[in-house]
Amino acid sequence: MLVSRDWLSDYLRLDAPTEALAERLLMAGLNLEAIHAAGNDTVIELEVTSNRPDCLGHVGVARELAVLLGLPLHLPDPRPLESGPPADVAVTIEDADICPCYTARVIRGVRVGPSPKWLIERLRAIGVEPVNNLVDVTNYVLFECGQPLHAFDLARIRGRRIIVRRAREGESFTALNHRDYHLTPAMGVIADADGPVALAGVMGGLGTEIGADTVDVLLESAQFAPLVVRAAARGLALASPSSYRFERGPDPAAVDWASRRACQLIVEMAGGTLAASPVAAGRLQAPQATVPLRGGRVAEVLGMDVDDQRQRNILGGLGFVEAPAGGTDSRWLAPTWRRDCTREIDLVEEIGRIEGYAHVPDEVPLSARRVEVGPRERIGRVATDLLVGIGFCEALTRSVVPIEAETTESPWTTRPALSIAPPLVRGADRLRRSLLPSLLEARSGNAAVGAGRADLFEVARAYLPTAAETAVDGPLKEPFLVSLVTGGDFPLAKGIVEALLTRLRIGVEAWSEGAERVEWRPVDLDLFTGGRAAEVVLHREGRQPERIAVVGEIAVGQLAQRSLEAPVAAAEVRLDCLEFAIGRDVVLRAASDSPAVHRDINLVLDRAVPWGTVAAVIGESGGPLLERFHLVQVWEDAERLGTGRKSLVVALALRPRSGSLSGEEANTVVAGIVTACAGRLGAELRR
Amino acid sequence: MEAVPLDAFLAEMARCRADAEAMLAAAADGAAVERARVEFLGARNGRLKGIQKGLGTVEPAARRDAGRHFNDLKDWLTVAIAAAQDRVAAAPATAEAAIDVTLPGTPVPLGHLHPITQTIRRVQEIMSRLGFESVDGPEVEDQWHNFDALAISPEHPARDPLDNFFLQVARGNDPLLLRSQTSTVQIRVMERRRPPLRIVSLGRVYRPDTADATHYPMFHQVEGLLVEPGTTMAHLKTTLRLLASSFLGAGVRVRFRPAFFPFTEPSVEVDMEWGGRWVEMGGAGMVDPAVLTAVGLDPDAVSGFAFGLGVERIAARRHGVADIRDFYRNDVRFLRQF
Repeated sequence: MLVSRDWLSDYLRLDAPTEALAERLLMAGLNLEAIHAAGNDTVIELEVTSNRPDCLGHVGVARELAVLLGLPLHLPDPRPLESGPPADVAVTIEDADICPCYTARVIRGVRVGPSPKWLIERLRAIGVEPVNNLVDVTNYVLFECGQPLHAFDLARIRGRRIIVRRAREGESFTALNHRDYHLTPAMGVIADADGPVALAGVMGGLGTEIGADTVDVLLESAQFAPLVVRAAARGLALASPSSYRFERGPDPAAVDWASRRACQLIVEMAGGTLAASPVAAGRLQAPQATVPLRGGRVAEVLGMDVDDQRQRNILGGLGFVEAPAGGTDSRWLAPTWRRDCTREIDLVEEIGRIEGYAHVPDEVPLSARRVEVGPRERIGRVATDLLVGIGFCEALTRSVVPIEAETTESPWTTRPALSIAPPLVRGADRLRRSLLPSLLEARSGNAAVGAGRADLFEVARAYLPTAAETAVDGPLKEPFLVSLVTGGDFPLAKGIVEALLTRLRIGVEAWSEGAERVEWRPVDLDLFTGGRAAEVVLHREGRQPERIAVVGEIAVGQLAQRSLEAPVAAAEVRLDCLEFAIGRDVVLRAASDSPAVHRDINLVLDRAVPWGTVAAVIGESGGPLLERFHLVQVWEDAERLGTGRKSLVVALALRPRSGSLSGEEANTVVAGIVTACAGRLGAELRR
Repeated sequence: MEAVPLDAFLAEMARCRADAEAMLAAAADGAAVERARVEFLGARNGRLKGIQKGLGTVEPAARRDAGRHFNDLKDWLTVAIAAAQDRVAAAPATAEAAIDVTLPGTPVPLGHLHPITQTIRRVQEIMSRLGFESVDGPEVEDQWHNFDALAISPEHPARDPLDNFFLQVARGNDPLLLRSQTSTVQIRVMERRRPPLRIVSLGRVYRPDTADATHYPMFHQVEGLLVEPGTTMAHLKTTLRLLASSFLGAGVRVRFRPAFFPFTEPSVEVDMEWGGRWVEMGGAGMVDPAVLTAVGLDPDAVSGFAFGLGVERIAARRHGVADIRDFYRNDVRFLRQF
């Protein structure tokens, strides 16, 4: 909203510099965008929030300044002489839901011509180009009080009839801007006997435009429903100062005031006689709330004291009228232009806003409270800190991706990705079911600009469609994931996932104590190279086994699509499935002081037996004396081991809880392990 | 065997010490020091060993005294040889063996936390000290949590389909959308838990803005909510002053300008003093009585405040990021600077 200082001065005496006025308005809720000179005038550009349509006219801004500065406000009281015969126009509202009230005044015998200099200067100052004295007056009154008006050339209104109704399907209309518009029933029109002559609340029609030859004028001042005006302005991309105001709801009392004001100015500047008795249809919607205000409520909300008399002065200055009430409480009739004020809290806000929030103390005591850090936040930090610690950069990629990014299988669902409208950015309308395609894209972007090797990770949600019939949590779930891509092979990515599970103290080692067990299984996903990918399955007591991660090397075809060089390995982990591990306390197991005995065993067995199976057998058969073991070497040699056989060298560390382990005791444990491996896996001990 | 007088024994020890001093002083490398160690402290034929054997021959009355002197000599030799070892180890044996200390060190992997995450964590940490717990909620929301419970009426422009990302599927008859603010989480918490409540909700939000230097259709918000009996705007201002001064530096104050948000009243824009001028950091206000009622609380018995900060705006200003799209390009040359 552009505000002319000169114009404001019509309503109150302004002595302070414009900057000071703008600062007062800023601190009262009218955000200052800019101040600039316009000839001898100064223009203030204000941002008006959607709850304050009263400030979309100079009168409203003047009222704010009057109450802020404690100055008297002088508003015009237009009483044009209705000297002509009554208007011979019929107004009908067919659809009252789009237009509660429509008024028309007729002025006969005007002389259309240029406006006087003062009017031209005022309009130009606020960026409105003058047209002719009639149109300029309607614009002037619009920017004075916020009520849009429209002037029709009465001679061009066919049938002397005004019909306010919804547009008909397929109806079209040529607006003042010489463009044709196709209308829908969501929009409202002003029609004459033949068809639309104006788009209700938005713009007039070319056919009834005021021209040099106009003699008789019909002046419209009406109320239009905000949603209907918005539908037209949005649907036709045809926003105007009128539609902007109708979408927010002008002062109902201004419907008549603006009409009288404009007629007065038209007769002054263009001559003519105003017809007696304006034509009106419908009923003006002018709700006014009576709002109670309890004594002491202002301090209870704002935390600052405002003197009772000061409260009364503020509300009175804003146009509220005090109604009788008892005791320290009061009741206030809200002015017609403040339909946003219907509740006690609205009055409290008005008092706080005008008194100034600078007076609200900023050093009051705050009580202490207990604080929890939830598992979601903690597990996110564990994953993030681990990956940052080993050299990964955190990426933030878009949650919504193009369909091409969702053509690969998701590790988490076989249902197709959900879509949104409009797209997040051009072409991206699918809610992603995995973060991996986004991270590959980011790695590819880095390669394309020569930024180098991008080892990236992201902690974010994916969106998994579910069976739609579950109304409570359907139609989707949002798993919480960490994903990573790195220029390495499967063992590297697996090592990182194992490190994360270890950090979370989730049984990485198959024989570990505790209620859960982690199993690595081969997996087939089209994102990964066949045979070089795994799923991680978590087994917990009393629960179904569930997939908590996938790890693999990205397939060559997938790399080629993104111009990425091999090798690239990736992993994605369901942090939401691992939150259970966050609350568990570490219970220290004291380290044994006894010396460890180290033995290596070399097992030869069928190459198809996975290490995971061997490890499980060793763990179970080792008993309490087996402290830990690890795989040292795997080798195959058909000549020395036989075809289809492999050798696994395993280092064992044996340690008793107390005392020392004799060589014989150690031999017994090792023999037990070897026997178990022989019996259950067909392994031979190679010496 | 004839007893050896104490004086003679002490004289032999003095000779041993003098010889050791001379030999150690002359030792220029580890090998020379090692020869000296073997000469004096050698387990079999070291001179100290010989002296120790002689200890038994000292006249009995003086043996105790001799023993004390023997221990002193042993301690001295041990320390002197260790010092000589350190001395020769510290000096490079030859000039060729010295390294160019200006050569780069062995690189260790060093990862980087995204500046958006760093900003969020900082705010979380500060708010946590003030008793605010971080909470999380779904990004795909329903009409109730994104609009109705937040007092955003059906005709409010914020609900326009063009101003939101609606899903093509619904939950029953309830359309779903990507949340346009993290206030949705506040509603979810208030529905589940009774006051006193202090929470911060944070995460991604979505609005169909065309991406440019200052807008992106996906961005991050941090929102705070406090609901406790007797809460006033002074508590809000105090909390935000503590946040601002902890985050930006002691003495930083906040300023409230009236604003309009559907779910708070009174509503304010929050400016913080940053770099000598007022910078808009977000919106705030007292929780609207209609919102309290919507979640089953009595606005006369309990009150609260809420505030929201735009994370990108804060991070961009703090780090001099002129184009917020850079936060989402994931260029490692950008990420590695943080």
